[in-house]
Amino acid sequence: MSIDWFIVLSALLFATGALGILLRRSPMVILLCLELMLNAGNLALVAFSRMVGNGQGQVFAVIVMVIAACEVVVGLGLIVAIFRRRIPLNVDDLRELRG
Amino acid sequence: MNFNEPHLDYAGISPLIALTVGICVVLLSAVFKPTKRWAPGLTTIALAATAGLLIWQWDDPKTLITGALRLDDLAISISLISILTAGFCVVLSLRERATEEAGSGEYHSLLLGSVLGMVLLAQATNLVSFFVALETLSIPLYILCATNLRREGSLESGLKYLIVGSIGSATLLYGMAFLYGGTGATNFAGIADGIARNGLDGDPLILIGIAMAAVGLAFKTSIAPFHQWTPDVYQGAPTPITAFMAVATKAAAFAVFLRFFDVALGSQLDDWQPALAALAAISIVVGNVGALGQDSLKRMLGYSGVAQAGYMLGGVVVLSESGTSSLVFYLAAYAFMNLAAFAVIVGRERETIFGDDIRAVRGLGTERPLLAWPLTISMLALAGLPATAGFIGKLYLIEALVEGDYTWLAVFIAIGTMISLAYYLRVVAAMWMRPETEVASGARPVIAGASPEADPVDPDAGSRWYIVGPALLAAAVTVFFGIIPQPLVEFASHAGAALFG
Repeated sequence: MSIDWFIVLSALLFATGALGILLRRSPMVILLCLELMLNAGNLALVAFSRMVGNGQGQVFAVIVMVIAACEVVVGLGLIVAIFRRRIPLNVDDLRELRG
Repeated sequence: MNFNEPHLDYAGISPLIALTVGICVVLLSAVFKPTKRWAPGLTTIALAATAGLLIWQWDDPKTLITGALRLDDLAISISLISILTAGFCVVLSLRERATEEAGSGEYHSLLLGSVLGMVLLAQATNLVSFFVALETLSIPLYILCATNLRREGSLESGLKYLIVGSIGSATLLYGMAFLYGGTGATNFAGIADGIARNGLDGDPLILIGIAMAAVGLAFKTSIAPFHQWTPDVYQGAPTPITAFMAVATKAAAFAVFLRFFDVALGSQLDDWQPALAALAAISIVVGNVGALGQDSLKRMLGYSGVAQAGYMLGGVVVLSESGTSSLVFYLAAYAFMNLAAFAVIVGRERETIFGDDIRAVRGLGTERPLLAWPLTISMLALAGLPATAGFIGKLYLIEALVEGDYTWLAVFIAIGTMISLAYYLRVVAAMWMRPETEVASGARPVIAGASPEADPVDPDAGSRWYIVGPALLAAAVTVFFGIIPQPLVEFASHAGAALFG
């Protein structure tokens, strides 16, 4: 099987994530889409790692997973804090800061 | 079976160890009652120890942890700028609402965590350490922006920063994956080798990688058109954190920008140089035009930061020793100029009802001359007027650009400076020219930067030592290096020589 398919899939995942961030309004879904973008990078790393024949890409992918988890934890924490303040959970309504 | 222990240069990683120990100690100190109030002191000690250990390694370049990090004078000078800014941030955070809301121990250990990321990032010479360091820098900052839990704007800025910052990281990661795919290496030198060995000059794989990595870094350094988050986040975050973010994040991100594009992608100069030059020019225009007509001082400084990032990117574009030296000089000068302004804003935010609105500094010249002078000097220095470090910094940047055949970008810097005078001088005019008409009392008006739950007014905040001290110190240093730039030039030229010497 050629590596192209893996790269095409990862590009599709990345584009889906990016589009989701642009189009969806719930911060939860935006966090999911961010995960999708990071995992597109992971897939590309692992595929390339098989192609070039060294394990560095796979090690990188594992580390990225840890970092992605940290980001989600902070993101969810912020969402909970916002929810507790009874601010509507919609990024379009987060508009106190503008000008 | 023999176990070969890896060689660890403990002297080289001692600054990282000091910071990590600092994080743990500060966090634990908050748990026990007798040490509860020690967090700012312990943080200062950790920062001072790290700075000391870094200065100890000055002029002694070494490669650490099997080539993942390189501790040279560029890394040390950038780390010192970050640590200095964090020190100012600790002092300005005394009595800050956000510190009490979030818990002093947590607040300060997160600050130290971010500094750890910066020190790592300035040394990174491997895609993995680069990415890990960038996230170690960013994630604590996302939380710190949101620490003023009572203010809606603070939470909003934290979430915005998280989303935009993570988009930047994901884009950067995708770019890194392509560079790794093309060259089969994750360390910067290996990438350069791989490009040469596999004949990948101008290969689409590498070009995609470069483009996406540049976009990711542009998000972090708030370069237009990837700057939209900057004014919002600067305005919403607690002011000491804004000061830290504005200066230290830029310094660390520019360090890795230089190292990555020089060491790994130096051979692809012709491909990325025009692109980065265009980004710099766009940043200068967008930042300076955006800052006009901003009433919130923090927003104004956010846009001005976008413009300044454009000037600094010029130092990366030319990719030369003088470019690097002038960039480091400018970053150091920028640190002092910005810290003076932010210290004054912190003070005025606490003693008036206007928050960070420009009305907060109206009549400051007669009311609090000790705060008016630092802010005046800072504004004039940011605008690049002579006898300030900002002027010398711009002079060096323009010189490096002309040397590197980018005279048109130097012209952009000059034009940007002219536009910027309009908004910087507006602040100076507000301070010195308008009489004190409005009295800071009565009903709380609805204005930018102040919500009903705004910080309580402390009528003497503007005369406290932890506001006046940092403001005067930063302003004095700005003027000092404007008149006697030699020590700072020496410092910056070491950094330039580390990469190109």
